Amino acid sequence: MSQLAPGAGAASGPAPETGTPGSRRASAWRLLLSSPTGAAGLVVLAVLILAAVTARWLAPYGPNDIDVPNALAPPSGRNWLGTDELGRDVFSRVLLAAEVSLQVALVSVAIALVVGVTFGVIAGYAGGWLDLVVMRSADVLFAFPILLLALAIVAIQGPAISSVMIAIGVVYTPIFARVARASTLSLRQEPYVQAARTMGVPTWQILLRHILPGISGPVTVQTSISLAFAILSEAALSFLGLGVQPPNPSWGRMLFDAQGFLASAWWMAVFPGLAILVTVLAFNLVGDAVRDVLDPRQRSMIESRRKR
Amino acid sequence: MSAAPQNAAPASQTASSKVLSSPVLRFLARRLLYTAVVLLGVMVVVFALVQLVPGDPIRIALGTRYTPETYAALQAASGLDRPLPVQFFSYIGSALTGDLGVSFRNGAPVTLLLLERLPATLTLALGGLVVALLIAIPLGTLAALKEGGWADGVVRVLSQIGVSVPDFWMGMLLITLFSTVLGWLPSAGYTPFTQDPAGWLSHLLLPAVTVGLVSGAIMTRYVRAAVLDVAHAGVIRTARSKGLRRAVVLGRHLGRNALVPVLTIAGIQLATLLGGVIVVEVVFAWPGLGRMMFDAVSSRDYPVIQGAVLLIAVIFLLINLIVDLLYAIVDPRIRLA
Amino acid sequence: MRKHRQRRNRLARTLVAAASAVSLSLLAGCVGEGVDLGPASSDRLVRAAIGGAPDQLDPHQTSSYFSFQVLENVYDTLVEPDENLQMQPALAESWDISEDQLTWTFHLREGVTFHDGSDFTAEDVVYSYTRIIDEELANAWRLATVEEVTATGEYTVEIGVSQPTPNLLTAIGGFKGMAIVSEDNAESGDIAQHPIGTGPFSFRDSRDGDYIWLESNPDYWGGAPAVDGVQFSYISEPTTAIAALRSGEVDWTDSVPPQQVEALSRDQAIALDTLVSTDYWYLAMNQDREPWSDERVRQAVAYAVDRDSIAQVVGYGTAVVNQLAIPETSPWYAAYDRYSLDPGQAQELMDEAGVSEASMDLMVSTDYPETVTAAQVIADNLAAIGIDVSIRTLDMATWLDDQDQGEFDALIMGWLGNLDPDDYYYAQHHSEGPSNAQGYANPDVDELLDAGRQELDEDRRRELYAEAATLIADDVSYLYLYNPSVIQAHAQRLTGYEMRSDRAVRFRDVNLEEDA
Repeated sequence: MSQLAPGAGAASGPAPETGTPGSRRASAWRLLLSSPTGAAGLVVLAVLILAAVTARWLAPYGPNDIDVPNALAPPSGRNWLGTDELGRDVFSRVLLAAEVSLQVALVSVAIALVVGVTFGVIAGYAGGWLDLVVMRSADVLFAFPILLLALAIVAIQGPAISSVMIAIGVVYTPIFARVARASTLSLRQEPYVQAARTMGVPTWQILLRHILPGISGPVTVQTSISLAFAILSEAALSFLGLGVQPPNPSWGRMLFDAQGFLASAWWMAVFPGLAILVTVLAFNLVGDAVRDVLDPRQRSMIESRRKR
Repeated sequence: MSAAPQNAAPASQTASSKVLSSPVLRFLARRLLYTAVVLLGVMVVVFALVQLVPGDPIRIALGTRYTPETYAALQAASGLDRPLPVQFFSYIGSALTGDLGVSFRNGAPVTLLLLERLPATLTLALGGLVVALLIAIPLGTLAALKEGGWADGVVRVLSQIGVSVPDFWMGMLLITLFSTVLGWLPSAGYTPFTQDPAGWLSHLLLPAVTVGLVSGAIMTRYVRAAVLDVAHAGVIRTARSKGLRRAVVLGRHLGRNALVPVLTIAGIQLATLLGGVIVVEVVFAWPGLGRMMFDAVSSRDYPVIQGAVLLIAVIFLLINLIVDLLYAIVDPRIRLA
Repeated sequence: MRKHRQRRNRLARTLVAAASAVSLSLLAGCVGEGVDLGPASSDRLVRAAIGGAPDQLDPHQTSSYFSFQVLENVYDTLVEPDENLQMQPALAESWDISEDQLTWTFHLREGVTFHDGSDFTAEDVVYSYTRIIDEELANAWRLATVEEVTATGEYTVEIGVSQPTPNLLTAIGGFKGMAIVSEDNAESGDIAQHPIGTGPFSFRDSRDGDYIWLESNPDYWGGAPAVDGVQFSYISEPTTAIAALRSGEVDWTDSVPPQQVEALSRDQAIALDTLVSTDYWYLAMNQDREPWSDERVRQAVAYAVDRDSIAQVVGYGTAVVNQLAIPETSPWYAAYDRYSLDPGQAQELMDEAGVSEASMDLMVSTDYPETVTAAQVIADNLAAIGIDVSIRTLDMATWLDDQDQGEFDALIMGWLGNLDPDDYYYAQHHSEGPSNAQGYANPDVDELLDAGRQELDEDRRRELYAEAATLIADDVSYLYLYNPSVIQAHAQRLTGYEMRSDRAVRFRDVNLEEDA
């Protein structure tokens, strides 16, 4: 797993403040959908989320319905993606694993987002020693490769889905803190924020009304990219046997089980892996497209090209 | 993640001292101080790992091997019976002198175990880096030169896919194709170069490609950005307006000017790779730090877990420091800023 | 793995002291010295891939099968099992038993030397057994009836027992956990990392997590091995190990995926063999907890479990379903087939017991993937009779700990390397047995097992154990599942290797054909 999120550095700039919020948002959506990759990512994501939510009704078989005589059956009309070594339906398991994976990703990124943004905004707004402490702490966490730190945390907590959520949440917290701080720093200098301060508006109101909405752009980009990487991290931890525990289906664990059948049952290795790839790719494409929309340079480029 | 070089530079500019008149020395001092502070933080985190184990780590690690005598002996060896502050300072003190305690599993010194495994991990990380550069430099340059064109788009999508592929899955697919089906390459294991160079290379190839593909996908974007920056800077346009041939321009200016940021990224990627190869090491039975850490997690060998995490974090910090210093030397604008 | 369950409270108290002594010397030794680059490639070196790294190399201390795979080739015992598991002379050339059956006299082989050149004498035997007994090491229970071990001559040892002990030879020679070690080596603590034995190969070098390198012993009493040495490397992923064997990187492995046995046995490039082993796997329910204390509930589970499916998914035709512990291939086998897959009967028993639904905390270990696989089938089976199984997957250390604390409703595990029927039943099912974690107590079984320990007539002894086993299975103290097979594969160029049902891996008689 690589820890270098693509283009994370570029997400640290604040959103440009142009036009009224309403029109800005509408045009942002329009632009987002106009990017073919971004639109594709969004559509795939929508389908994935829908499938994950309805998985238990959609799945033709129970994820743990064992049928040993029908084990290792290749894809067919009966089992669309074949069966695994216990005769379980791979399609049903891939589908139900989507629910688990998305759940883990959402919870862990939510942890990282709430904690990271809180610290980042406070650090950026307050400045001084508080800023110093928070950002140096983030630097310390950055010194650990993501999967390494997650592995260490799971080692302490014991293998379980909750440990994985906490571990991934912790390792992604500092990046949210950085993104939020950087945006807050520049927003603090904006005339309307300065004005609010001199007028004696309470700090919490300034943070809520001006700062948080202002940093939402870069944070959104970071969220999308982090979701992608959280899914990869969860898969890796489950692959190592430290995440979702059997018999519950999970993509990483299914790949672990598939290792013994690479020569005889390719479908066991191919489909869960594809599921990870597609999901992560969708989040990345959306994150990328959102960044393009929010990045003024890129945005003008897209617009100018469209006018041509 | 944090990898853009400008992010790695210290934000605190307060350490400047009148004694150090040279800006280079001042930068150096500031950077060293910063690294020392972060290193201390890293050691606090690593120390805290064992303290956070719910229950008694020695009792858990011993499991059924538990007897009052073994317990007492391990407790004395690890110092976990002393008051927390004493433990902390003795941990820091020992760690600074290279003593990371003994393994709970077999009593061997952790430092020695780590040093035995480090070469294999370094080999894999460097091999992965080479593959990544071989992918990223041509593709990134191509994408930048055709900015906005279809080649740029294709490279961009390819790099997105590369970034989204789980590396262990890639490893499994490569094993299936090149070992199981074609039988061209060994699927696992490690041979030291000094023992059998050909065997070394054939063992390294698949894991290095696995690691390098993902890393290369990420680096492609940085190479593209670096080349674009240089291309947009006036140099190239001026050179071309002077009628120099395209290839000459590329070779002379682009290469040299884009090399600095690319090498920076390469350095940081190398540091990242060191910690990122855990799963790949497991898939390919590669006897490196990642595999060792994985084994330590299953046997709850906390000193080894701590040691491996600390070592990799320290290497990461060192590479960052070196990259920053080189960057400052090569590109004076950075240090004067 | 070999019975680590007896290990509780018995670990070497010297472990840590010894280990830290070793570490100091290692650390001192590594400063300023070159790095040993491991065995040079040699055509005469057998490269064996085993499933994992030994935890340590002290034969009296370790419980890891990986350790014993290596140590089998480094150490000797007084007697040792042949391929039919009959005890044969090894370091002892012959032995006599006194009239009252209470004194055994062993006549040792003369002229045997340890790998460090020192002579092997009766004192070494006394030291080794005394070490096991006095330090209460892992295998002390095997010598439970031994009262004294004395050297009555330079090459004569007398063992006095408190009661007739028909299985003494199995106890002292069944496996290398009862090896004769060198006193200097053991007392210095070096034995854990650098063992010195009398066996066909001597320890040369190792690198943690990478390999162990043994060199052939030219002075071996049984004749110097034909090969130069053996290098053990660790490949936990069976598919990987097989690929390595095919590509010629290794010559031998026992890390073979059972699902590939059929396909591999058609592969001309490698020799693959399977043999039903003396191991067995079982499910046990905690009889101190409701509703598992009710034997009807346990019997219901026994009727509901689909053994054929389990044997299929763990062994792909190599595992043999068994409702008792001892495999058909053993001279101690007894037939028993009360439990057929019968959900109707199971439901009836549940109704009789008045249990309509129950939840079962089923404990398995990642270290033995077959337990995780079997558990998933069992969970599906038991759902049919209203038992909701939640599978708890633990590392072996935690698993053992929870077992000892009684923190489980049910567990799945195996017992490996059993020879004598006493190995199969006493510790697990005697009410005082050290491994009776499920809390089984049946006075009739106790009586039979006690009698079996002293019965010298082999036929009568077989009957006693058959009777005990029937009661044990009827009461479902253990729910026996299957006997797995030993599966090993080697390159065609490796000749003279013989597979054994007790999983002992012996390389002393092998040879490597010139380039194949």
